[in-house]
Amino acid sequence: MTSRSNIMDAVEWRAGSTDLSERRRTGISRGPITDLIPTPEMREILVVAGEGARIGSSVTLEAIGADKRLAKTYPGIAATVKLLATPQIRHVATLGGNLAQRSRCWYFRNPNISCLKKGGSDCPARAGNHYYGVAFDLGPCIAPHPSSMATALLAYDATIRTDRRDGLTLDALYGDGSNGSLDHRLEPGEVIISIDLPPAATSEFATYERAISRAQAEWPLVEIAARIIVKDARFQLVRLVAGGIAPVPLRLVGAEKAAKDALAETDIFTIAAKAAIEGAKPMPMSAYKLKLLEGLVYDVLEQCAEASAGVWIDKSIPS
Amino acid sequence: MLIDVIRHQFQLSGTKFVCGAGVCGACTVLVDGAPVASCLMPAKAATGKSVTTVEGIGADDLHPVQRAFMALDALQCGFCTPGFIVGAVAFHDLWRKEHGTERPLRSVVAEALSGHLCRCGAYDNILRAVMEACAGRFDGTGNRSPRVEAHEKVTGAAKYTVDIHHDGQLQGLILRSKLAHARISSIDLSAARALPGVGAVVSLLNGDGTVRYVGQAIAAVAATNWKTAQDALDAITFEYASLPSVIGPESALMPGAPIVFSGRKNDVANASEGTIAPAPWKGNLRGPTTAFSHNKRKAKRWITKAREAADPLLFEGTFKTGIQQHTCLEPHAAVARFDGERLIVQVSTQTVEELRKKISKRFKLDPANVQVIAEHIGGGFGSKGGLTDELDAAIRLSREASAPVQIVFTRHEELSVTGYRPGASIDISLLPADDGGLKAISLTARADTGVAVNSTIAGLARLIYPAQAKNLADFDIVSNLPPGSPFRGPGAPPMAFALEQAVDEVALRMKTDPIALRLRWDTNPMRHRLYEWASNLECWRSRINLAKSGRYRRGVGVAAGYWLYFWQPGSTVELAVKNRRLVVKCAVQDIGTGTRSVLANTVAQAFDLDPGEVEIQIGNSDFPPGPDSSGSRVTASVVPPTLLAIEEVKARLLEESRGTHAGSNAPWRERIAAAPDFLVTAKRPEDARDNIYGRNSLLKEAGIVGTIFSWMLRRSSHLVAGAGAPSSVQVIEAEVDTLLGHVTVLSAHTGISVGKLAAPDLARSQATGAIIQGLGFALYEDRAVDPTTGEVLTAGLDDYRIPGIADTPSMDVHFEEGGFDHVLGGGVGIGEVATVPTAAAIANAVRDAIGIRPMEAPMKPDRILALLEKVKPA
Repeated sequence: MTSRSNIMDAVEWRAGSTDLSERRRTGISRGPITDLIPTPEMREILVVAGEGARIGSSVTLEAIGADKRLAKTYPGIAATVKLLATPQIRHVATLGGNLAQRSRCWYFRNPNISCLKKGGSDCPARAGNHYYGVAFDLGPCIAPHPSSMATALLAYDATIRTDRRDGLTLDALYGDGSNGSLDHRLEPGEVIISIDLPPAATSEFATYERAISRAQAEWPLVEIAARIIVKDARFQLVRLVAGGIAPVPLRLVGAEKAAKDALAETDIFTIAAKAAIEGAKPMPMSAYKLKLLEGLVYDVLEQCAEASAGVWIDKSIPS
Repeated sequence: MLIDVIRHQFQLSGTKFVCGAGVCGACTVLVDGAPVASCLMPAKAATGKSVTTVEGIGADDLHPVQRAFMALDALQCGFCTPGFIVGAVAFHDLWRKEHGTERPLRSVVAEALSGHLCRCGAYDNILRAVMEACAGRFDGTGNRSPRVEAHEKVTGAAKYTVDIHHDGQLQGLILRSKLAHARISSIDLSAARALPGVGAVVSLLNGDGTVRYVGQAIAAVAATNWKTAQDALDAITFEYASLPSVIGPESALMPGAPIVFSGRKNDVANASEGTIAPAPWKGNLRGPTTAFSHNKRKAKRWITKAREAADPLLFEGTFKTGIQQHTCLEPHAAVARFDGERLIVQVSTQTVEELRKKISKRFKLDPANVQVIAEHIGGGFGSKGGLTDELDAAIRLSREASAPVQIVFTRHEELSVTGYRPGASIDISLLPADDGGLKAISLTARADTGVAVNSTIAGLARLIYPAQAKNLADFDIVSNLPPGSPFRGPGAPPMAFALEQAVDEVALRMKTDPIALRLRWDTNPMRHRLYEWASNLECWRSRINLAKSGRYRRGVGVAAGYWLYFWQPGSTVELAVKNRRLVVKCAVQDIGTGTRSVLANTVAQAFDLDPGEVEIQIGNSDFPPGPDSSGSRVTASVVPPTLLAIEEVKARLLEESRGTHAGSNAPWRERIAAAPDFLVTAKRPEDARDNIYGRNSLLKEAGIVGTIFSWMLRRSSHLVAGAGAPSSVQVIEAEVDTLLGHVTVLSAHTGISVGKLAAPDLARSQATGAIIQGLGFALYEDRAVDPTTGEVLTAGLDDYRIPGIADTPSMDVHFEEGGFDHVLGGGVGIGEVATVPTAAAIANAVRDAIGIRPMEAPMKPDRILALLEKVKPA
């Protein structure tokens, strides 16, 4: 039986501290802290042509976004970093920290309210205000997973190496959402060492988009990472992962199936977008996220299809 | 954390603590040359690295970015400025290394500064300043600025209340209710008092010990440090009974809902700046207040008849607006200390002089023994207008501890218990006459005011668009939530959101140009000039050509707004010649609006001096009584007496130099330098009776009720409503992404009539900042509470979303000067009016773009998508 205090008093690793510092200040985290001392491999990015890449867990998001080799082979990663947080945060936040960060739920972050992630017995957002909550209700906690990098890495079938395990998939890292008290399934004290990316095809196109209310610097309402190969006008590879909609990053298997081998054209974008929301279980206030999810699936399929066909789309708004 | 080392160990107070979450960038410093949020960085992480704070930038010579911020007025209250400077310097230096003096795109600068927030909305000038600095335009020397205190603000030297530190100063914290409704029967402070390091513990309960919202103050402690103060809070015990609570307006009106206020309602908080007049109560519903109606029964009858007859021109609808938090970047903060009998408070306030009176009354002190000081104030927007908890507690604690006590609100406190613009549900009916005139208007507003009352929304529809009949009713729905409070143009943006959309809709139905219809219905001569200006804007004239299909759709909307012209009687300005300089003194304060510069410009112009040559002393209640910074009253309160004082000083200077070597043509500068020290004071005179509005104030034009209201305002709020109305007409172009429900405001044209401008550059800054705040109200800002506990959920800057720099549209500000010649100096205040029509104009633009009217603000993606569902072809 976990009590509220021992969850909040657990030992925590400190990396860039962009998440932890705020929780320390508000008293959401009050256990001992251990500063991560990165080993050399935790600090480097290795890219081996044809074999994949390995990104150390202590590499900052800024460094990942600036790495030209990664950008070339894994453009979806660079696209994600670009839209994530702010330059100050990206400068110190690490990849490992991003994957292991705690929930952004406003109930979790409010020091006066108990919740599953603080040792409480239920999720106050269910009967409360869950405007930012999940649209795929997979478990007792209805806060979406906060890691955008996880969304992108899942699209690339990345695996995690820790000080105790190798080949940990993102599915295994995050589980299925059935345990509402956790944001990840690392054991106490376990440290992420690096993230391994399998090779990506040179013909593939990848992107990342998020729906927000302002122009920039906002946690996504819904986000999507996509990898696409179009061959002979048909989708040969479709990999779609969404964030902001479930307690874990979610592969959109239905949408992938609907598009795979189909013609890369408007009707199929629409069909795939509809398929993306199949099986959704939105909360009363979060149903709008499904429309955003549909919109984002349509958007990235269109982008990828047009880019693959050599059509250059200028999405910027003329001023 | 690094910020604690910087601010406390090194005592460098330029680096500001605001959000504590890495969202706002106010704490930005350079670590090995790169900008980081020092509120999140452990001090350890900076070991062996070079750290540069704002004090280290331009220490010898100003950096080009600082010069650009000064010259282009890229700041207002200045609290976010050091962080912006540090971030912009890093961007500038890197840009110059890589691109020379190529001017960066606006969007590139916006992206680089995405980790900075400015609540005054100085973004337009910040973007310009950074672009121009990168282009090399400020590589030279010089540090001129239209804002007289700009140098202090861009170097981090400006001291705010949060930066004050006295020897022996204790830190105060407030214990707050975790329950939405309870009665505390007894409280035990002894254990807290007994803790070592605790200087004082006081109860803040009053009356019968009832607390009516989560976060209501119960007690306060002062201790040598934060940790001890926190322990002391934990040591306070009390006996209480939990009472049934009701959260939010819907629950408050349910049959059998718990009653928030039973019995006498003397001390209920005021959600507006006007006097609280008696009104009926029914459970948690207060109202209607209908004093501003005109032929109320006729209005009701005509509208009912038109509804029954299905009159196609009758527009009826219900508009809803969200709750907007002031979100001052400098939180509410106060330092109190006693020097013998004398109490000196330093406080982040909009009302230095008024506070002196209130403090002396509440604490039974001789007014002469109370001094209130507010040198720099990091934003107020209506929320820092009284003897609020942080100040009350600091005084009590200081008295008990016999030591200086500082209280600084946390961001959580700032975003939950310091007030907000009440949300509203507004039923409107608009009925044109057969001849195309305006026959009847009905507005019924129900405001979500928490434990406050006196929201005035519908009533404000009386003073624009004269109609044959108006039925205007205001209700407050009280519940166990923190009190609403005045916020920039209290009541007016929600009123305009409903009324200006209704006018737009009727224009569509009448197939009339919306500006032409306003020209027909509106009688204000200054707004007529603004309508003419608006109708000639290229963006308005070519709006028909915009894309109305496809994913991205564009539209243009227009809206008008007004505010009352207020001034504060008794406002007095002292002008002295001292040590060969001119010195102005007044117990007014500058909350970022530019009061110092208004005074400096007024005096400098009269004496052919540079504004920097005039010494301005404000923010101190020992000076001659000045006005509150609220209701847009300052300029019209301080400029007229300043002008009278100028005339006197001039006469005296002429007298002094008569017969001396300074000839009759000697410049004023020489005469001042040659004159002995002397001073004159002048009081705000009444306005001239003759004016283009027909002698009377706007309020008095509204008949006997207006006259009574005017009298009450003057008596209890020290406000005179003069003739004429500050006005604004805005034309806004927006783009809607129909796939993701996102609204982008592309351009904002704001035409403003506030008479002659005392400080034109700063007036422009006020106008553009007001657009940004209106844009936040229209699109993003939405306080959320937990419906069960009454906890505010949007208590951090991640979740309470104020506009960011990339949300800044292209701005076009147009002033129609004139119209206020009856005011000495010819000008009135701009603060409120400039934000009144913005949300309505954006809504009308969205309507134009997507063909369906947004009835609710903020127009967040979910609402836009829901609207589009309705117009989707089946």
